[in-house]
Amino acid sequence: MEAHAAPYYRGGAPETGLAVYTQKVGMWVFLCSEIMFFTGLIGSYIILRFGASETWPAPGEVLNIPVTAVNTFILICSSVTMVKAFAASETGDKRGTRLFTLATALMGATFLGVQIYEYRELLHHDFGPWSGLYGSTFFTMTGFHGFHVFLGVVCMTWATLKAFRGGYDGGNYRGLEVLGLYWHFVDLVWIILFTIVYLI
Amino acid sequence: MDSTETLHESPDGGTAEAHADGHTHPRYMLVWLWLAILTAAEVAVVWFTALPKSWVVVALLIMAVWKALLVALYFMHLRFEPLRVAVLATSPLPLAVLLVMAVLQEYK
Amino acid sequence: MATIVAQPTGVPVVEEHHEMSFIRKYIFSTDHKVIGIQFLFLSLFFLLVGGLLAMMMRWQLAWPGKAMPFGGLFPEAMAPGGIMLPEFYNSLVTMHGTFMVFFAIMLLLVGVYANYLIPLQIGAPDMAFPRLNMISFWLAVPAGVIALASFAVEGGAAGAGWTSYAPLSALPEASGVSLGQQMWIVSLVILGLSSILGSTNYITTVINMRAPGMTWMRLPLTVWALFITAILALLAMPVLSGALIMLLFDQTLGTHFFLPASGGQPLLWQHLFWFFGHPEVYILILPAMGFASEILAVGSRKPVFGYKAMVGAIIAIAFLGWIVWGHHMFQSGMNPVLGTTFMVSTLVIAVPSAIKTFNWMGTMWRGNLHLHSPMLFAIGFVMLFVIGGLSGIFMASAPFDIFIHDTYFIVAHIHYVLFGGALFAIFGAIYYWYPKMFGRMMSERWGKIHFGLTFIFFNLAFFPMHTQGLAGMMRRLYDTSGYTHTADIQDTHLLISFSAFALFASGAIFAFNFFWSMFRGERAPDNPWNATTLEWQTPSPPKHGNWEEAPVVYHGPHEYSHPDVTDKDWLAQNERPDVVSPARH
Repeated sequence: MEAHAAPYYRGGAPETGLAVYTQKVGMWVFLCSEIMFFTGLIGSYIILRFGASETWPAPGEVLNIPVTAVNTFILICSSVTMVKAFAASETGDKRGTRLFTLATALMGATFLGVQIYEYRELLHHDFGPWSGLYGSTFFTMTGFHGFHVFLGVVCMTWATLKAFRGGYDGGNYRGLEVLGLYWHFVDLVWIILFTIVYLI
Repeated sequence: MDSTETLHESPDGGTAEAHADGHTHPRYMLVWLWLAILTAAEVAVVWFTALPKSWVVVALLIMAVWKALLVALYFMHLRFEPLRVAVLATSPLPLAVLLVMAVLQEYK
Repeated sequence: MATIVAQPTGVPVVEEHHEMSFIRKYIFSTDHKVIGIQFLFLSLFFLLVGGLLAMMMRWQLAWPGKAMPFGGLFPEAMAPGGIMLPEFYNSLVTMHGTFMVFFAIMLLLVGVYANYLIPLQIGAPDMAFPRLNMISFWLAVPAGVIALASFAVEGGAAGAGWTSYAPLSALPEASGVSLGQQMWIVSLVILGLSSILGSTNYITTVINMRAPGMTWMRLPLTVWALFITAILALLAMPVLSGALIMLLFDQTLGTHFFLPASGGQPLLWQHLFWFFGHPEVYILILPAMGFASEILAVGSRKPVFGYKAMVGAIIAIAFLGWIVWGHHMFQSGMNPVLGTTFMVSTLVIAVPSAIKTFNWMGTMWRGNLHLHSPMLFAIGFVMLFVIGGLSGIFMASAPFDIFIHDTYFIVAHIHYVLFGGALFAIFGAIYYWYPKMFGRMMSERWGKIHFGLTFIFFNLAFFPMHTQGLAGMMRRLYDTSGYTHTADIQDTHLLISFSAFALFASGAIFAFNFFWSMFRGERAPDNPWNATTLEWQTPSPPKHGNWEEAPVVYHGPHEYSHPDVTDKDWLAQNERPDVVSPARH
């Protein structure tokens, strides 16, 4: 029982299998789980809305569409800076890496700030999670999306610090690519939420 | 993800890096422009038109899926990944559709 | 410090010793083997807790309204004067199910063996994300602590059943439990997160960390089963988390998701719960099937009969498991069209399950049977799983299910598949992999006695429940003396309770054997069972990093009694073909 072998894992993780590096596979697997989490929330919204006896308020009747449209735009911009940060890191553009990670973190934080403002305004007008199925679903879905953005901002703050210390220089782009996948996923969920919660 | 997986019949497993260095990046600003235009169009459809509600809903859903695809294909690079990554990424979607469609039967 | 270690092959290998503090090595360890053993102790503890709760329930069912032994130890809110209150009984039912399903069986199958076995059996040095692995263990601990602590709070532990149907679970004034129910929800959300992170790790590891030559069709069936199980957990757990969070908000924030009075949909809870719950059932049985397949091949000295069919059956069961959740809801008033659909898809699951059963028998057929303790438990698993599976077909049929819904027939079924199925395979797995985990053998004699007593008293305890269910004994009934039709079957309750106590006591033999062998057991050789899979080709217990040299795989996973190998009846996966036999391959 002689095991003739090369030390295939010395100096790094063995990367057989999908021919994609392990961290990226892991993030995609995790995002599969996230898809099902939001399916639970968004699916419940669709089902409850179809089965609801109460009439659903028209778009803009309760929620502030212009403010949220601007906020959506901010999140889309943060996605483009995120992907730019990754591209800069991959091509060895140190200045771009730092600038774009910082911009992403800031825009994510701005999005959260606007959402907190929106919540305060709504609660001020006595529209809360207790306000019928509309309030229940609205606050649960946007709240959990906001929580995901919050986690993303925490990670991006850490990534920004790392970027300014040169952690993504020299073609070390993987961390930003994997984090970017999460960030874009959260953006993607918002695209769906904005349409079905605010506009339909 | 299951049987479509590469089968390393030889003991010296491949370690090919699909995301090869030096490939050109897609034009991210163009994607961003499309996303901005579509967002504006969505708001405009709701705000300024007097179309029938069902048309508006269909138009909004199409634009939402369009935007989501832009993000997934370009920002998340699914267009440039091996097919099996795309299969992995989209594998929960049939389950998601199944769950929602089945429970909606309660309201037929 | 470097030492020279003599390998069996005579090749000296220079080995590095990494000095680590006790805390890094045993408490916050990132080594998948240590984490697996941590999960083993945690889940066996919850198995004990769940068992104790069941013993109290059996006391109440056998002697309704009589003071429990040691009953004086309980506070007034649970059992004044040692006599159990109905609310406390509800908590016992709920928490017995919760502990057994989520903290005992699921952690034993997935937490322990996915962690311990996947890297060893695929020839990887560790998991893909070792730190994430540590986090998923340290999330499971507080989840368990919160669930346990809920017994001590005002109103007691959750009492709405392990399924926590709304609106009962959503309205504190209906169940009488407020904080306990919320702690139950928080505990399961944390456990769900632990399970999702763990599954991410297992799936990534199997996809990307296989040793050279370890193709998909050379994976041991245990790894196949754990891999598919991880996919189920990955996609089912988040749906439960979402539903639990909505339930929590109904209780705390005043939302209306599941409250019909304000427009909510109680049926939505049932759909979401069982959309998770049915894959969960397969999470609890697929790994057990994997263990049994592997142990049966080792104990029969034959390859697994129909390896590819076994893999196909695992995948088919997992796939079908997503489209059958409604068979738990035939009585809920859901759309009859859905009911029929779910009935048909459920009956179809019998096909892959039967394929597996026949293949297990085919594996043993004319084999050179070695009836050691793991093998006995694996055979016991097959026998009891068949009984549990057949009663499952009864229930899949909607007309019959309406008759036996929420009776002891269901209780009998779930215990035949979860105790007779999953737990028997787990005992087999513990006896089988114990030498690898702890470097010592468990006592064979006490193992056989443990098997014999468990098998006898298990059947005496749970088989009569089928007839009780047909006689109309309700599933969560607190006092059997209240109805004539249940009072008539009180004698069988006595038989069941005595058998259950004996079953619990035979667990003590196992516990003694487990801990005694850890210190006094016979030293285990590297490969005590003459098994072929990779984990047996490394020292017992394996060192940090698992391999001195990375293994290279040349053979399928269960090559026993290979016709070309004349000197022994097994062929390890990493044995070089030219060393063994120049004739073929």
